[in-house]
Amino acid sequence: MALVRRPQTGGPESPPDPAVLLAALADADADRRRLAAVGLGGVAEAIPALLARLSVEDDPVARDAVLTTLAGYDRVDVAAELATHLRSEDAALRTAVVEALTAMPEGLVPLLPKLVVDPDHDVRILTAMILADLPSPAAVPWLVEMISADRHPNVVAAALDALLPVAGAEHVALLEHARDRFADDPFLRFTIDAALPALGGPR
Amino acid sequence: MTTVTPETEQQPTLSDADFHRFREYFYRRTGIQFTASKRYFVDKRVHACIRASGEQSFAAWFAALRLGLRPELVQQAINQLTVNETYFLREDYQFDSLLRSVLPRVLAARKRVGLADEPVRILSLPCSTGEEPYSIALRLLEEWPLIDDVDVELHAGDIDSAVLHHARQGVYGARSLQRVPEPWLRRHFTPLGEGHHQLSADIRAAVSFSQINVTDSDQMRGLHRFDVVFCRNMLIYFDEVSSRRAAENLYGALRPGGYLFLGHSESMSRISPIFTPCRLPEGLVYQRPSHGATA
Repeated sequence: MALVRRPQTGGPESPPDPAVLLAALADADADRRRLAAVGLGGVAEAIPALLARLSVEDDPVARDAVLTTLAGYDRVDVAAELATHLRSEDAALRTAVVEALTAMPEGLVPLLPKLVVDPDHDVRILTAMILADLPSPAAVPWLVEMISADRHPNVVAAALDALLPVAGAEHVALLEHARDRFADDPFLRFTIDAALPALGGPR
Repeated sequence: MTTVTPETEQQPTLSDADFHRFREYFYRRTGIQFTASKRYFVDKRVHACIRASGEQSFAAWFAALRLGLRPELVQQAINQLTVNETYFLREDYQFDSLLRSVLPRVLAARKRVGLADEPVRILSLPCSTGEEPYSIALRLLEEWPLIDDVDVELHAGDIDSAVLHHARQGVYGARSLQRVPEPWLRRHFTPLGEGHHQLSADIRAAVSFSQINVTDSDQMRGLHRFDVVFCRNMLIYFDEVSSRRAAENLYGALRPGGYLFLGHSESMSRISPIFTPCRLPEGLVYQRPSHGATA
């Protein structure tokens, strides 16, 4: 037969020298940069370098590795730095940062009071997208706040999208109020009218 | 709303609304979708979760679950609502895909880059008690016409040392072997009595087993240059950060252009964008882009 046995692979390896990995973050080869970012997991001193790399990294896979390593530091200072990219012109970076922040409930929740009233409505929409998957009891109250108070229909629509999968009868009045506030918005009316029966609201 | 009754009383069913709300939540959390045909199963397992939690109603339990008030409830629900049973030739449409679609592509790609003489490397992770890597070995030996011409390395890993011991022994009961064709059983296993069989020593010796935690980047760094990785029904157990880390490590274990098989209810697209979905006739696999860190 041609099934061949090779010595076992895997098993613990000595972590590479962090200084070498930090230098490799700027390597010309994207896969070396990716490996460096993965290897810097658990090296807290590397956080500033990883955050700096995020601003210039143009390879999506290497960038994702940087974000994965940074998401492992679920702290408010790291989350705050990542959140600055929510206003990036680079759509792929914004989306990647949303996914990373979704994995950082401890770091993100203290930032929410400012994010949900950010002057840029696109930042508020991205905040609703983060809240949709944020594993935190704070997510629903903040979505309720956005639906209650935000004046931009697209923000309210994003917050509704995030809330509806976990909404219940207790949210009927909230949705009816939003429908009244945006009575001239056919999309919001349609969304809310479609959702209300499932929540025990009026048909 | 449903009220939980003592076990001695007749078990209530979830209301339709509760079933749908739970189903939506569980899908969003794990990617596992329960159809209406699974209603009885879901009802039964959800009630087991509620009883174990000490909560008095579905509403109280579901609120604690979805709001993260008691984080342990999520893992309990996943454990209850996923079936951990493994057996030979499970979800074997993916082994069909390996033989019919993936290996021909791997060999063609090898030829193009002048690596035709290198062995094909396949990794099974987590391998549990060995049914998956041994199923791959059996399918290759019995059904792949090129097995006499191409060398294949089979590596397998799991975080649990006890299951690795079991895997190396290669002794299985009737339930585990139920899908193994009788001729294969006769050719490759030795009966031990009471429905148990031991896999032949040469096949056991052909698989390298290692203790590996897929989320540990230092451990996973030792796994690389694989053409194919099977990582089925594991990522659904991880939280967001661990899933992302595992995806990075699986990416690093593959050669550029290598293929990743996930469980049928899992979606890499929900975890990380770094793999390219590849629709093959037998189903979906994920591919590491061919060049550099990215395509």
